[in-house]
Amino acid sequence: MEYKAPVEAYTGVVREITIGKGNKSLKIGGENILPLHFFDEGSNPNPAKFALEILDMKPEDWPAHAVEPFKDVISDPISWAKKCQGFAVDAVSLFLVSTDPAVKNAPADKAAALAKEVGEAIDVPLIVYGSGDEKKDVEVLSKVAEACDGMNLLIGPVLKENYEAVGKAILDHGHTAIAQSPLDINLLKELNVKLSKFFPPDRIVIDPLSSALGYGMEYSYSLIERVKQIGIMTKDSMTMMPIIANLGAECWKTKQAKENKEQGLLWEGITALSLLLAGANILVLRHPETLSLIKETMEVK
Amino acid sequence: MVIIGENIHVIAQAISTAIREKNAKIIQDLAKEQTEAGADYIDLNVGPMKKDTEEIMQWLVSTVQEVTDLPLSIDTMNPVAMEAGLKACQKRPLLNSASGKTSSKEQMLPLAQKYNCDVVISVMTDKGMPPEVDSKIESIMDTVAHANELGIPNEDIWVDPIILPVSTAGEGQRFAVVCLEFIKILEDVLPGVKSTVGLSNVSNGVPNELRPLLNRVYLVMLGRNGLYSAIADPLDKELMSLVKGEMPNDVELIYKTMDGEDIDLSALSQKQVEYVKTAKVLMGANLYSDAWLES
Repeated sequence: MEYKAPVEAYTGVVREITIGKGNKSLKIGGENILPLHFFDEGSNPNPAKFALEILDMKPEDWPAHAVEPFKDVISDPISWAKKCQGFAVDAVSLFLVSTDPAVKNAPADKAAALAKEVGEAIDVPLIVYGSGDEKKDVEVLSKVAEACDGMNLLIGPVLKENYEAVGKAILDHGHTAIAQSPLDINLLKELNVKLSKFFPPDRIVIDPLSSALGYGMEYSYSLIERVKQIGIMTKDSMTMMPIIANLGAECWKTKQAKENKEQGLLWEGITALSLLLAGANILVLRHPETLSLIKETMEVK
Repeated sequence: MVIIGENIHVIAQAISTAIREKNAKIIQDLAKEQTEAGADYIDLNVGPMKKDTEEIMQWLVSTVQEVTDLPLSIDTMNPVAMEAGLKACQKRPLLNSASGKTSSKEQMLPLAQKYNCDVVISVMTDKGMPPEVDSKIESIMDTVAHANELGIPNEDIWVDPIILPVSTAGEGQRFAVVCLEFIKILEDVLPGVKSTVGLSNVSNGVPNELRPLLNRVYLVMLGRNGLYSAIADPLDKELMSLVKGEMPNDVELIYKTMDGEDIDLSALSQKQVEYVKTAKVLMGANLYSDAWLES
């Protein structure tokens, strides 16, 4: 008897989300198959996208081999962002670390003006992450949203503690939100449910928190995998959002990545590939050589 | 459904203090309230008990027996306290609980035989909590066989699959489904045994105002699958109405949800919508979050 491979068809569809405006925009999500299950019925119209990270201040704890590709622009976020484009990125992710009260407590206005300048200087969409300080971010991200009105940035993290204020600013000024929860699928869903009460779910991207290889990556992997399964297989509306894996900083924090360059590239590369396999739709990396390594790997047939 | 009233337990600070200070009124009021609310047993959860074990236990049992005719469930991990409690009971008590742990087999189970009482036996073993239906069944069959050898018949054994919080990230819903399955097949595997659960643990970690709803719906679901009894809160009027057959339409609605029937939520009252949504979470059909009623 001839063997016929089973073909699955699912009812859930990850929402297709557009970031950026006009010719500076990109689409993520939209798949109705599990990650890389191209043998099943359905498709993934938007293969994974990649962003490189830039900081709003000269990094203090990066090893020399991570600074190296940007050493001439590392103190100037705008030039840094432009330089990222030379590495064929799909987006640039600006981290407003200097606004953190525990770092420089830089003012929100300044951060917002910088976000606008960066956004206007590049030809790809901009992702903006606040410092993660739940109180300061209300001010910082609201100002960013306002200054960049209508640019449809991808802005986060929107947290359980500040989703009402931050979500409202993102919504009012026409941006897309990154809803972040601490590695817990129940909390992740809860935040999406609460945010969706006033915020359109087709403008939410999930950040489940991405841990590095050897530092809890398997938790991020399982979580991303499960979010996809529940969204696509059980059609749970509150998990059918694209996922952002913000992993660069986590990987380059590790002892192994700091020790030497090749190890760092592999650390970041393996983490990125793993989370890609789990179903991440957009990945934020630090090192441009990791990006080329991954693209090379993905093209191997 | 046999309801074992859970309200006298040392986890509550007031009870713990009342026991330590031998304040009979607080204890007796709770015993009376539970009796009037329709409980079938009164559980006396005294925790591990470190000192004056026998004396405190005797006092507690006789204090409660002064105001209620209900049989008691003696709830302690301390075999000395257990024996003192069982000895003081006028009605045939429930030993709560024994397990498949070696220490329990050696020290608790023989007491059930010695005092000719009913006994709760949990699926716990020396290796911990068996997580799946198969491993729970395997463990309980071993322990029940051991109990039978001691002369305890199946009819005196109340099996406890151990309920865990449904809100446990990633795994809680699987636990809830496993217990439903376990209760469903228990009668086929061990004919004649009864069953019980510590119901309120299913809602541990959930916002307080939402806990009773999970407890109520889960009890109805377990009841449908054949659950014999539950350690639960008899002062929850809605819970008692549901299990005493006073709300047949709502019970039927929960059954239909369990059967996967398409239910038109727009035709239901708000409370009924909540029953349906809660049942779906407990049967693993919808991903749990603390906002499960809001989506």
